[in-house]
Amino acid sequence: MSCLIVQSDKTLLLEVDHERADDCRRAIAPFAELERAPEHIHTYRVTPLGLWNARAAGHDAEQVVDALVQYSRYPVPHALLVDIAETMDRYGRLTLSKHPAHGLVLTTTDRPVLEEVLKSKRIAPLVGARIDPDSVVVHPSERGQIKQVLLKLGWPAEDLAGYVDGEAHPIELLEDGWALRPYQKQAVENFWHGGSGVVVLPCGAGKTLVGAGSMAQAKSTTLILVTNTVSARQWKHELVKRTSLTEDEIGEYSGTKKEIRPVTIATYQVLTTKRKGIYPHLELFDSRDWGLIVYDEVHLLPAPVFKFTADLQARRRLGLTATLVREDGRESDVFSLIGPKRFDAPWKEIEAQGYIAPADCVEVRVNLTDTERLAYATAETEEKYRFCATTDTKRKVTEAIVRRFAGQQILVIGQYIDQLDELGEHLNAPVIKGETSNAQREKLFDAFREGEISVLVVSKVANFSIDLPEATVAVQVSGTFGSRQEEAQRLGRVLRPKADGHQAHFYSVVARDTIDQDFAAHRQRFLAEQGYSYRIVDADEILAEDSTG
Amino acid sequence: MSPAAHPAPRSLAEALRARDDVSLAALLRSRPDLITPVPTDLTQLATRAGTRASVLRALERLDRFALQTAEALAVAPDPAPYDTLLALMAGDARDETVAAALPHALGTLREQALVWGDDERLRLVRTARELLAPSPQHPSPTGLGPSVQEATSGMSPGRIQDIVATAGLPSTHDSVSAVAALTALFEDRKKMGDLLAEAPEAAREVLARLVWGPPYGQVTPDPAAHLRWLLDRGLLLPTAPGTVVLPREVALHLREGRAHRVPEPLPPAVEPAATHGAQVVDATAAGQAYTALATVEELMKDWDEGGPAVLRAGGLSVRDLKRTAVALDVSEPVAAFWVELAYAAGLIASDGEADERYAATPAYDEWLERPAAERWSQLAEAWLTATRTPGLVGGRDAKDRTLAALGPGLDRSAAPEVRHRVLTLLAGLPVGAAPDTESVLARLRWERPLRGPQQRNGDEDLRSRLARWTLSEAEQLGITGRGALSAHARALLGAPAAGAGSRTGSGTPGTSAAPGTSAPPGTSAPAAAGSTRVLAPAGPAEGTGPGDKLPVHHHHRPGGPALTPLSPAEQAVATAAAARLLAPLLPEPLDHVLLQADLTAVAPGPLRRPLADVLDVLADVESKGGATVYRFTPASVRRALDAGRSAADLHAFLVEHSRTPVPQPLAYLIDDVARKHGHLRVGAASAYVRCDDDTLLNEILADKRAAALRLRRLAPTVLAAPCDPATLLEGLRAMGYAPAAESAEGDVLIARAHAHRTPPRTAPEPVPDGPPPPDATLLTAAIRAIRAGDLAATTPRRTAGDGAAVPGGELPRTSSAETLATVQAAVLTGESLWIGYVNAEGTASQRVIAPVKVEGGFVTAYDHTADEVRTYPLHRITGVAELAEG
Repeated sequence: MSCLIVQSDKTLLLEVDHERADDCRRAIAPFAELERAPEHIHTYRVTPLGLWNARAAGHDAEQVVDALVQYSRYPVPHALLVDIAETMDRYGRLTLSKHPAHGLVLTTTDRPVLEEVLKSKRIAPLVGARIDPDSVVVHPSERGQIKQVLLKLGWPAEDLAGYVDGEAHPIELLEDGWALRPYQKQAVENFWHGGSGVVVLPCGAGKTLVGAGSMAQAKSTTLILVTNTVSARQWKHELVKRTSLTEDEIGEYSGTKKEIRPVTIATYQVLTTKRKGIYPHLELFDSRDWGLIVYDEVHLLPAPVFKFTADLQARRRLGLTATLVREDGRESDVFSLIGPKRFDAPWKEIEAQGYIAPADCVEVRVNLTDTERLAYATAETEEKYRFCATTDTKRKVTEAIVRRFAGQQILVIGQYIDQLDELGEHLNAPVIKGETSNAQREKLFDAFREGEISVLVVSKVANFSIDLPEATVAVQVSGTFGSRQEEAQRLGRVLRPKADGHQAHFYSVVARDTIDQDFAAHRQRFLAEQGYSYRIVDADEILAEDSTG
Repeated sequence: MSPAAHPAPRSLAEALRARDDVSLAALLRSRPDLITPVPTDLTQLATRAGTRASVLRALERLDRFALQTAEALAVAPDPAPYDTLLALMAGDARDETVAAALPHALGTLREQALVWGDDERLRLVRTARELLAPSPQHPSPTGLGPSVQEATSGMSPGRIQDIVATAGLPSTHDSVSAVAALTALFEDRKKMGDLLAEAPEAAREVLARLVWGPPYGQVTPDPAAHLRWLLDRGLLLPTAPGTVVLPREVALHLREGRAHRVPEPLPPAVEPAATHGAQVVDATAAGQAYTALATVEELMKDWDEGGPAVLRAGGLSVRDLKRTAVALDVSEPVAAFWVELAYAAGLIASDGEADERYAATPAYDEWLERPAAERWSQLAEAWLTATRTPGLVGGRDAKDRTLAALGPGLDRSAAPEVRHRVLTLLAGLPVGAAPDTESVLARLRWERPLRGPQQRNGDEDLRSRLARWTLSEAEQLGITGRGALSAHARALLGAPAAGAGSRTGSGTPGTSAAPGTSAPPGTSAPAAAGSTRVLAPAGPAEGTGPGDKLPVHHHHRPGGPALTPLSPAEQAVATAAAARLLAPLLPEPLDHVLLQADLTAVAPGPLRRPLADVLDVLADVESKGGATVYRFTPASVRRALDAGRSAADLHAFLVEHSRTPVPQPLAYLIDDVARKHGHLRVGAASAYVRCDDDTLLNEILADKRAAALRLRRLAPTVLAAPCDPATLLEGLRAMGYAPAAESAEGDVLIARAHAHRTPPRTAPEPVPDGPPPPDATLLTAAIRAIRAGDLAATTPRRTAGDGAAVPGGELPRTSSAETLATVQAAVLTGESLWIGYVNAEGTASQRVIAPVKVEGGFVTAYDHTADEVRTYPLHRITGVAELAEG
């Protein structure tokens, strides 16, 4: 009996408790995406993107087929193997390379494929003269565009055109008293070897250090794109602490500051600001001869940034993310523009190695009061979520939870400002929301970090990249509807390793029998699939414990 | 010539008479149509063997080389000695392979009574000769034209003498000897070579163009010099004005004696495309076999509560097929295959109700009870022998109607034979070898070449398509695994699984095929013949050496059993053997699942049926294959509760069958759904009693007289009753209460005595005792009709010929020439005529018409009787008479 079951819908079921499970996981990980990782059986999915990722990483169809046949418990359907071989065969029929005389050229090993793609209306404007039957000139500025279109046509091109080195700048890691973790090293190595690509690591697993490690490899000027200013500051802080870079070498390019230094950290927001129909800050990309571009939180990369990225194909690109799942389904753009996945490690595995804290996830179901139920039933559709998400009972439950974990660092996270203000008042805790100034935010975060305040109420502004090492309890009272990645991010808040090895707690307070519950189910699905099981408890239990305890 | 002791047969009947019983049996076996009904004597048998239909059928079943031999005989002189035939087949160069294969092909033709006579006087039966000999309408596949003698048959003797003279031959005194001399010249390789050496270059090019056919060419009335050179020497002969033909003898000279451009004496070998381990093949096939069972079961489950409706023309609508394809998660052609398979196996059928739907048959329930391996072998056997061809679904028939799955028009009688043949070819490969599809098709085409222009609009012929479908369906069904025949499928075909390896290993395709001559009906005897030769290159040892004067017969069977379609009894044994081989390869059903916190359950293999049934209700299937992934959702749990299970049942069920602890979220989900389940209740009532005073309602309920009203308390102030409101009112009034009726809006309804009314009705139609009086228009028309009829019947008339009036009441009769002349005259004069006329139903009538024009066999005329212009076909006019003057 082997450990892998190949399903007809191209999912692979891996029995994790099996003795050969680890070998098998290693064998299938290059080409199959881990889709769900609950406690007993992990589900991997074989997709064309995954297979091409594998090809990009140097695996061939034979290895893939071998892995399946070797580990499969039941005979693998012949059709599936044929399909895999055919799909993988499509990668690399077309290659983009540098031609000494003609510049960037698209070459094929299979002439009909070239003929087929050249017939496409979308390819025609991107290519120039035909050099010989097997190659055609590509406008250098369309390098990203053509890769995107070719992927959509099902003939992904292998980009061998190489990279410009960019302006050199000395960067070293200062490993005093700490070192890159093995998986971080592996990630840096895989990325550097592959040229460009995406590293997938869970929140709290030290993605910033993977970025720093890559910069130390590149030793060149670097542009780092992050989601917001807080995150930018944290990157800066971390880089100063972990590398030979000094404060002066790192510039911040955001709404308030416009510094361009050898290492520049810019926010997505400032880049995508549009004035009079143009993006005035785009010149940042050309302001220096960047040798490396780092994209933090790739799964949030706004659409315009993809467009700019298409023009930056000659530079090394590193994407960092906790999940390749994009709510907008643009995974293929990530693949073609930033690069294939170069490294990933399942959440649970890193937890098992002790690098992130184990978490206890609890969903608390609260009942609406009778009047609330009536109001909810008659509310307009677009108002419904707000109605149920901000029910009064949630406040009581939240208070009870906060009381139970008194003394620990607690975050209360929510979507609706009214609700948060009210909670802040009742819990006697400061509230961080959109209107809070950055200085004030940093001050509060510092105070929280130092333990001066133990409860912090935050709106979704704190969703991303803030680093709150000592938060051990998070209470989520409302969220952006069913956003799975938000849930992952929020859980990430409490997953940083705790100094005292405390167990982290993640509470999600949900109104029963409402769309809040449906959204919660949707949000949790990602985490449940990552192996985080939610316990579900009734609000009454919490309240009862609270009154007795 | 033959010695006197064996007088040469003078007819096919005599030739048959000379054959022994075994040989006759072989004939009848290969041409079973000859004995339906059984002929009374050999003369009758010979006659029947010579009928066009029967010969055609026999020719269509010949392999390519035998057919080529027959075609060569058709262009050879009748009778032809063996050597002539050999020369035609092997050419001047004497192709040794052809020469070696020829006796066998000839043996086949003789056995099938297509050829008779000894080696000195081989005769192709006349019908076959007519079918195969070249004619302008049916060019021969050989591409040869008519012989000199045939081509010159209409030519003037002078012209023939001219040709003979130009060709350099002495002139003769008659055309027959001149033609003979010309033929002799053309057949003489040396002299002919000399003649052609003198030909202009352009002329040789013309010949080269025509040599392999078609042999006909167009010439202008005034041909160019090089054509004239050819025409003058009879190297081209005119057939029709502007057309010339290359005479057969000339073509044969140019072809170095060969009747066929490419003689194909040997069947093309089936090439293996890939070879897999026997274990891999069997395991893959078994996996697929299991999938096949699961798919059929899923299909039946999908159709369990009322399958799709039967179209009026029969079959499944395109929409239903699409839906089924989605339900099975396969493409539509594949869905059609499964549906047809279940149908062929008798598992589904139309229910025959007025509102006709497809449903499972009782046989399905029996099938379901059997062990998996037997279930599979039953399906496989049904597939093997079915004439239904699912591959046709979605195509169009001759009338351009779409062919629906399960519908009519899907039967192809060749299907079982092709399936069997393809699998037999597969069985001939070494174990684990997957064939190259094209080579299989090429082999099939060799074994059963198509005669005539059957390949239209680039479509493949039916047999090739059947073969392709066979290969893909075999893979679907688990007959083959990775393209190679599995051990259990070998057993199904009746081939010994163990011995197969050693024998096929020695590279002898078709090992187990019976020698061609003893192939039972239904098999392609030619195919077998072909394989025999490959099997035993030492042909003569098998008795197929040249010089055999009688049809060749083998009376022994080779060591292994034949891979021929089995009799039902044999098939049953083979099916059981297949099931036995398959059984250990199928996964053992499990009795447990793994429950996970993300609300999924994974069954790491097939589940025992009761467990699977419950899980199917309790959870939604998310992914299928070797394992099944189920997902629990509030809806699926509710479904289970609706099915009558309690929350406690479900918990117990999960604990019992889960190998892992039941995750808390799942337990919570079940409780949560159960808590809400049945919270709202729905029922039916016809009337209610409402009263704010619940003591009054208590009183009513307690009253014995209310028992008949069957009141039920829904709430303290509401009673419901199954009777209608009027009855309830009556009842309550009878009990002494004063209820008021309530409208739908809750208002008190003022009730008046309700008058009884029918549904809308129309007033009865009056029934008059005679027809209504006619109005003026009708009257005028009627009178005119009567008068005209009267005129036609009573006018004194005279005939064109003698002027004597035809007696009244009889139809005039005149010859057609006379009729035409009279009518034409009447057109000119504008006179009216009296005609006798027989309409299309054969009713005779007489009419008075004024012809307007005569044209194309029709007379257009004003018909006085009908008062309108009509057209009469002249041939329906029995005669005409002019109306008498005055």
